[in-house]
Amino acid sequence: MKTLATKTMILILGLVCTSAVNVPTFAQSKSSVWDGVYSEEQAKRGVTVYQEACAACHGVDLRGDSNSPSLIGVSFMFLWEDRSLGELLTKIQTEMPPANPDSLPNESYVDILAYVMQVNSFPAGEDELVPGKYHQILITGKP
Amino acid sequence: MSFRCFASVCLAVLATYINLVARAEDFKPVTEEMLRNPPPGDWLNWRRTDNAWGYSPLEQITRDNVGQLQLVWSWAMEETAAQETAPLVHDGIIYLPNSHGVIQALDGASGDLIWEYRPAVTKRVDGSATLASTNQITRTAPELSGAVSGPGVQKNIAIYGKRIFAATGNAHIVAIDALTGKLIWDVEVADSSLGYRYTAGPIVVKGILITGISGCSRYKDDVCFITGHDAATGTELWRTSTVARPGEQGGDTWGDLPLRFRAGSDAWIAGSYDPGTGLVYWGTAQAKPWASAVRGTKGNALYTNSTLALNPETGKIVWFYQHLPGETHDMDEVFENVLVDLDGRKSLFKMGKIGILWQLDRTTGEFINATDLGYQNLLTVDSSNGKVTYHEGMVPEIGVQIDMCPSTSGMKSWRAIAYSPRTKAMYIPLTLNCELATFGPTERILGGGGAGPVRRKNHMHPRSNGMLGEFVAMSVESGKILWRHRTATPSNTAALTTAGGVVFGGDWDRHVYAYDESTGEVLWQTRLITSAQGFPISYLAGGKQYVAVPAGVGGASWSTLIPRDLVPDIKRPNHGNSFYVFALPEK
Repeated sequence: MKTLATKTMILILGLVCTSAVNVPTFAQSKSSVWDGVYSEEQAKRGVTVYQEACAACHGVDLRGDSNSPSLIGVSFMFLWEDRSLGELLTKIQTEMPPANPDSLPNESYVDILAYVMQVNSFPAGEDELVPGKYHQILITGKP
Repeated sequence: MSFRCFASVCLAVLATYINLVARAEDFKPVTEEMLRNPPPGDWLNWRRTDNAWGYSPLEQITRDNVGQLQLVWSWAMEETAAQETAPLVHDGIIYLPNSHGVIQALDGASGDLIWEYRPAVTKRVDGSATLASTNQITRTAPELSGAVSGPGVQKNIAIYGKRIFAATGNAHIVAIDALTGKLIWDVEVADSSLGYRYTAGPIVVKGILITGISGCSRYKDDVCFITGHDAATGTELWRTSTVARPGEQGGDTWGDLPLRFRAGSDAWIAGSYDPGTGLVYWGTAQAKPWASAVRGTKGNALYTNSTLALNPETGKIVWFYQHLPGETHDMDEVFENVLVDLDGRKSLFKMGKIGILWQLDRTTGEFINATDLGYQNLLTVDSSNGKVTYHEGMVPEIGVQIDMCPSTSGMKSWRAIAYSPRTKAMYIPLTLNCELATFGPTERILGGGGAGPVRRKNHMHPRSNGMLGEFVAMSVESGKILWRHRTATPSNTAALTTAGGVVFGGDWDRHVYAYDESTGEVLWQTRLITSAQGFPISYLAGGKQYVAVPAGVGGASWSTLIPRDLVPDIKRPNHGNSFYVFALPEK
């Protein structure tokens, strides 16, 4: 049987560890799509891939259709507000195109994501969106 | 070129010419009478007969011998879009619709390609070259059309005289020479840049092509419609709107919404015809956006989610029946109209996504009966008068989650019912799924609208016992379930009934099943390279009965989102549109 002191120590360690995990996450989650998290060049590449692989269902103007949701405006924000770019990217990559998911190069999916952000008026920045950051970037309404 | 080489080329050209002439001499033009009463070995309408039974009178393949079925040949199809093919057969030749407008004629016995019609600038079937013939339409370039050219689905085509007729993804109707595959005429029916497109093809009645258009989910200054065209020239003879316009009869069922914001009512499944009543029966889809709270009217929104009875020569709506007035969950009722005479009444049976089998008097449109499969939790139908009452709390409000069965994917979909006159039963492919759904807003602007966003979390139907698919036989006389066959994945093809007492269907997990029509016992099964998907048929070639089953991918959320979410451990190749032909072994 563990002593009270041991239990207390475990509890403290546990709290410390939990805080250690949570603090950076909280700090990173401050990043949002309004912080210039993709580049113009990346979005430009995304246009080409989008028109080739996505536009037939989601539309050249990204407004969707009967079986494909709008990727722009209030409908898009209804589905994605307060969720991370990582979630969106995972969905796109694992489910799109519907008949052949994950069939595009990884970079192409990221480029499409950049294009979707651009069309939704999220500002471009200096740097390209790169792996490892997606889950720390939130899709939010205009600050 | 050496003389020997030159002679070989000449001989090959001569052989081709002789073959073509021989075929031309042998070809029996398809007459009005043949369409109304097809030869037993032919499959001349998309569900073989006008009544949409999906029933073959052939009986070489029986319950006793179906276990011996063998693959005879197979054929890889276009991979450019979802597989929803509904082939035709005339005199042993299969006319096979592929995605993005490609049509092939294949020898039904050998599987040899006879001709190919290819409207787009894409690779030929053998991959050797590209084709950009000036007398063939060019698929609108994606960078110009995108959404508006649509996903390239081509379900059914039609045959009449010596021509094949198809409706295209860019809202054209085309006539093709059934002997050569050459384009005869091409008519633009609507402006595809506005979103108009066809995913289903025409039926032919009295020399008139009747076709329903899709692509009306987004706001524009016009609505969806059904047209009649002269089969000889393509000339449009009539056009009937599937939405009641402001100021017209029924126009007030959309409240004060201007025409621009009256969306949906796509006519995306081909209709049926009864020479007895002289009427064509066509379904219409749900209103858009799906939820009434989002589209801005709680009105009935005519003529959405209705069955329309049309005069084939004028397009006049003789009667209509709206199955789910003011529908608000994406419960589409557009599907096949199965015409069966029951207890002396000329009836029309139909089942929509919600899983209710409706019976109407097809002469008058009067409601006769509604049989609920019992899986939906949205509403109650009074079986004495058809009145629909939504359950408390089940009418969606924007941003409020409901737990709805079925999901917005539906229990039933374009996988058509088949009817057998032997058992007087409907054979129905289903997917038993539900959804935590939260409907969201759209922008009410020109070009906006659409189906509307839904935050969805799919789940198995509580009565599915973990089995997502069901192929169910229901008596039309008693409404009772005769048998069910549950499968782990969606029941994914249209049904096929035969006079041999065997019923065919297939599932997402690549199986094809041959059932005893009376007991549901699986008498034979096989597996394909990917999901069984499309419209199975049976036909004669050289006096021998064949059963053909398409396979493929795409085909909306039933065969993409739903199995991926609910049976993630079951995998199938995400490609492989193809066609399989089975027969009994030679004696």
